[in-house]
Amino acid sequence: MKPLAFVLFSFASLGLVGTALGVFSTKKGSVSFTSDAPLEVIKASSDELKGLIDPKANTFAFTIDMTSFRGFNSPLQMEHFNENYLETTTYQKSSFSGKIIEEVDFTKDGTHILRAKGKLEIHGVTTERIIKSEVTVKDGKFRVRSNFTVLLAEHDIAIPKIVHQKVAEEIQVAVDAEFESKG
Amino acid sequence: MKFLLFLLLPSFLLAQSPHFREVSMGEAYPGTRVEMLYQDKSGLVWFGSQKGLFRYDGQDFLLLQKPDSTNQRVRVVFQDRKMQQWVGYHDGSIYKLQANELVKWMPDEGTPKVAITGIVEDEAGQVWFSSYGEGVYCFDGKRLHNFNTDDGLLGNEIYVMAKGPDGRIWLGTDGGISVCRFAKGNKQVENLARKDGLPDEIVHELLPDQQGNIWVGTYDKGICRYLPKERRFDFPLKDWPDGIVNHLALFEGKELWIGTDGHGIWRYSLQDGSLSPVTGFEKSKVYDLMRDMEGNIWTVTNTGGVRYANRQFEYLPTTFLNIQAVLAQKDGCLWVGTPDGLFCQKKNGEVKLWLKERKLNVICLHEDKFENIWVGTFDKGTFCLNPKTGDLRQLTEKDSISNNSILSIDGTNGYVWLATLGGATEIDNSLNRIFKERPPLRRFGKEDGLAANFIYKVFVDRRKRTWFCTDGQGISLLENGSIKNFQSYKEFDAEAGKEVERQLKAVYSMAEDQRGHIWLSTATEGIFEFDGKTFKRLAVKEGIRDLAITSLVADANGQLVVVHPSGIDLLTPETHHLIYYDEEIGLKNDIDPNLNAACSDQYGNVWLGMKDGLFKYTPLNDPLEIHPKTHLHSVMVAYQTVDFGQAGSFSHSQNNLNFEFFGLWYTDPASVRYRYRMVGYDTNWVSTKDRHATFASLPPGQYRFEVTSTENDAWSDEPVVSYEFSISQPFWRRWWFVLACCAIVGAAFYWFQKTRELRLKRVALLEKEKVESELAALKAQINPHFLFNSFNTLISVIEEDPKAAVEYVENMSDFYRTMLQLRDKPMIGLEEEVDLVENFGYLLKRRYGDAFQLEVNPNCSRDVQVVPLTLQVLVENAVKHNVIVKSKPLKVQVMMTDDGYLMVKNNLQPKLQPEKGTGFGLDSLRRRYELLTGKQIVIEKTETEFKVSVPTIAGS
Repeated sequence: MKPLAFVLFSFASLGLVGTALGVFSTKKGSVSFTSDAPLEVIKASSDELKGLIDPKANTFAFTIDMTSFRGFNSPLQMEHFNENYLETTTYQKSSFSGKIIEEVDFTKDGTHILRAKGKLEIHGVTTERIIKSEVTVKDGKFRVRSNFTVLLAEHDIAIPKIVHQKVAEEIQVAVDAEFESKG
Repeated sequence: MKFLLFLLLPSFLLAQSPHFREVSMGEAYPGTRVEMLYQDKSGLVWFGSQKGLFRYDGQDFLLLQKPDSTNQRVRVVFQDRKMQQWVGYHDGSIYKLQANELVKWMPDEGTPKVAITGIVEDEAGQVWFSSYGEGVYCFDGKRLHNFNTDDGLLGNEIYVMAKGPDGRIWLGTDGGISVCRFAKGNKQVENLARKDGLPDEIVHELLPDQQGNIWVGTYDKGICRYLPKERRFDFPLKDWPDGIVNHLALFEGKELWIGTDGHGIWRYSLQDGSLSPVTGFEKSKVYDLMRDMEGNIWTVTNTGGVRYANRQFEYLPTTFLNIQAVLAQKDGCLWVGTPDGLFCQKKNGEVKLWLKERKLNVICLHEDKFENIWVGTFDKGTFCLNPKTGDLRQLTEKDSISNNSILSIDGTNGYVWLATLGGATEIDNSLNRIFKERPPLRRFGKEDGLAANFIYKVFVDRRKRTWFCTDGQGISLLENGSIKNFQSYKEFDAEAGKEVERQLKAVYSMAEDQRGHIWLSTATEGIFEFDGKTFKRLAVKEGIRDLAITSLVADANGQLVVVHPSGIDLLTPETHHLIYYDEEIGLKNDIDPNLNAACSDQYGNVWLGMKDGLFKYTPLNDPLEIHPKTHLHSVMVAYQTVDFGQAGSFSHSQNNLNFEFFGLWYTDPASVRYRYRMVGYDTNWVSTKDRHATFASLPPGQYRFEVTSTENDAWSDEPVVSYEFSISQPFWRRWWFVLACCAIVGAAFYWFQKTRELRLKRVALLEKEKVESELAALKAQINPHFLFNSFNTLISVIEEDPKAAVEYVENMSDFYRTMLQLRDKPMIGLEEEVDLVENFGYLLKRRYGDAFQLEVNPNCSRDVQVVPLTLQVLVENAVKHNVIVKSKPLKVQVMMTDDGYLMVKNNLQPKLQPEKGTGFGLDSLRRRYELLTGKQIVIEKTETEFKVSVPTIAGS
């Protein structure tokens, strides 16, 4: 099982009218992951995603506390997740930060598919990723939704052979966050 | 020198140019603006346009559009090493071509939102996509990675992307050149900008060459070349006239084609450094340039759509006509002999007539190692001329040369051979003293062993042997001072059915291939290959289309250029493979080539003199071995397209097959012919111009469809494309089905026989049983004991009650009559049987009185059938085996059980001395019931009771 899950990110640009507004931050943000392995399906989620987006610079940063994931099948599973795989005492946070590739006018309400290019850090290992997200802008707030995958091997997350049938090599991650202006 | 008069002719020469032809899309797709070209690895050419992607096979277009979008503007097409074809669009979408369908590529990361400008594959098999605005993307097979200015690129607007000789990806941007590599998740970017010597930061074109360098086309500063090993730029084209460079193409590393943005197309010769505009493209804006596998240069411009030309052949019209001799000098000067004199045309187009006052009819030309020009004339001997110094010497018969009419000159190392109408002469100019004194010379003629004195051609081969091509007498070879003549050859004569010897007659021309084989062309017999021992003839059957061959010249690769009035053929010596060229390269019908008006230059290019101009042939680095390329592109079975990548297997009803194929020969698409056959059906080849073949109602069997194409009807060694398939027998004709049918019929017959026998047996048995049982019953009834008892009973009754006696006799009589009536029937109704046993019971009751009781249960009135006398046998049985006394009455009960059995039950009080019986009655009953009903009689015996149940048969 396990554990892998990660964080997410997405970013989005938003922008309320013009980009005169400052930085936007998450009002609500959740990350969930699914490991769909032959023997076991593991799911867990966390509502503690924190994110910032700067529409002017087209940059973003997300972070999540890896110990905040809940919803495991059993306490043992959660313990494995934290201690054996993600080593959350050593690598407590996962993050994704970088730039949005597209330049889109966010002054209008609407839905955009955007790509964010940035550094994804999980388990202390950073890879550069492009992550596609759907951003819905409405009334000066926006919502970011994204689905992407994380390969365990890319983040040096070692799963004992014996557990392989229970943990997928590729973990599906879903992110859903609402942003509003910091004010 | 007083002999010389220089005459400057006006130089209104047209520049030399290959013959361009336009690809018309007009009728089928009017108004289509093609913007790019791509040739895939199989040789197919693809056009990218705003209407979508076109496949062009030389004759037809196939338009492929993406299914889900209105923006069909194709920007780039690329085929990777796995033969996957990628298509990049102006709207940023990327599609894959799968079985002629465009399938959208949807990586997790999404695709760019801006135009795709390039697709290439690196050494590791990673596919790169450049974009105009988002930098470049690298697809490592799993994920898409992006490089942009944040990663160090000089710009996000990529004009061009190329795989460099170092395996890295080179990008042309608005800020210079960025060179990228992506390995193990690491991005490497190296930049080349103005500070590194790049003349202009806007780079429109990058073109790697075979030397490992990269040609760079810029916006403002023309063209330069980057030398990666020396890490510097160099500038072969110093004076770029003007114009934005859009595209570059290389022809065999010999010539750089340059497409500009509004200033036409230019050619830069890497052989002599000349730069010249291509005529017909002045002011054109060039969208794309491409060099294909056949040696064609394709252009896409705003002025002429798609035009292409076979670059191997260029035509150079001249002011001097009827060219009889041509010589290309190392400095680029062309020397040409005509009946009107000796002309020299310089690179700049300037033309001079030499030795005008001598009114020379120049037949042949030769340049010796001292750069002297030797001129062979008709009737005026030979002239040796040094164009630089103006030195000149004439040699005539007075100087002891063989004859004043010189037909051919060749030589090596300062020794010069003259072939004349009157023998051959060798002139020793090894010390280049010819302008000072009469050179030493030797004459050879018939008297020295030459086959003839009329010599068309003298040829010195690489082994310094001298060959003479004579008029009517074959060839002579001078080697080590001795002369050997070859005047005949052997050939298999089909009519005579054996090998015959034939005369080698007039030989016009000679060439040597790379194996040292000598090739000769004759006046009427075609071409001969001589390997030193035997001659092999190539004539019409071998594909020589015109036997009136005027010249035979070897190019840089040892390929032979065969010139005749019908055109120019290229002959590969090793395979005898021929390619024809004529109208498609601009040769007109009346080219009228003169004998041996041909030469090869220092680069191995071949110059051919024609009636009103010169043809220059530039060989490909690798001679074409396969042409046309045959493609099988569709197989339809019963009107359904099938995947023909692998062998097919069809049912007997899928036996109508349609094949579509084409042969790619863009050089001259109209000349392509096909032949096909269906091995397994008809082994004869069918020749056709059609590009499809249909086979209807093929019988079941194993087949191989084979098709090949030719552009010259030679059917020589072009590979055959084939498709194997099988049509199966209908199932009712397959062995297993036939076998199964036989087995079923056999089994059915066997079963029938078996059951019939059984039935017969049973019937016979039944019959026997019946007879036996009747007999037994009869015997039982006339058993004297029974009669005796009955009569005793009667006697006692008569005395006591005469009326009852009458009744008794009536009962007895009824009993016997009924028994006689019933015994013949196999079965009788239960009621009749009950009547019978009641009669019998009356008789017994009279005898035993209250000691015998018979009870027939009313349920025995059911409509069932039993064997006659069943009850009588059973009741009699009970009487026979039991004690019947008043104190112990025998009580016999007859009843039907719920499960349909007729049961006879009596209390058991066996006699101490059992009466002797045959036991036949019960046994016989048991067998009969078994035969009739298949069920057993059930006999149950307890301490107190004896029960016999017999199965009954329902209904009548």
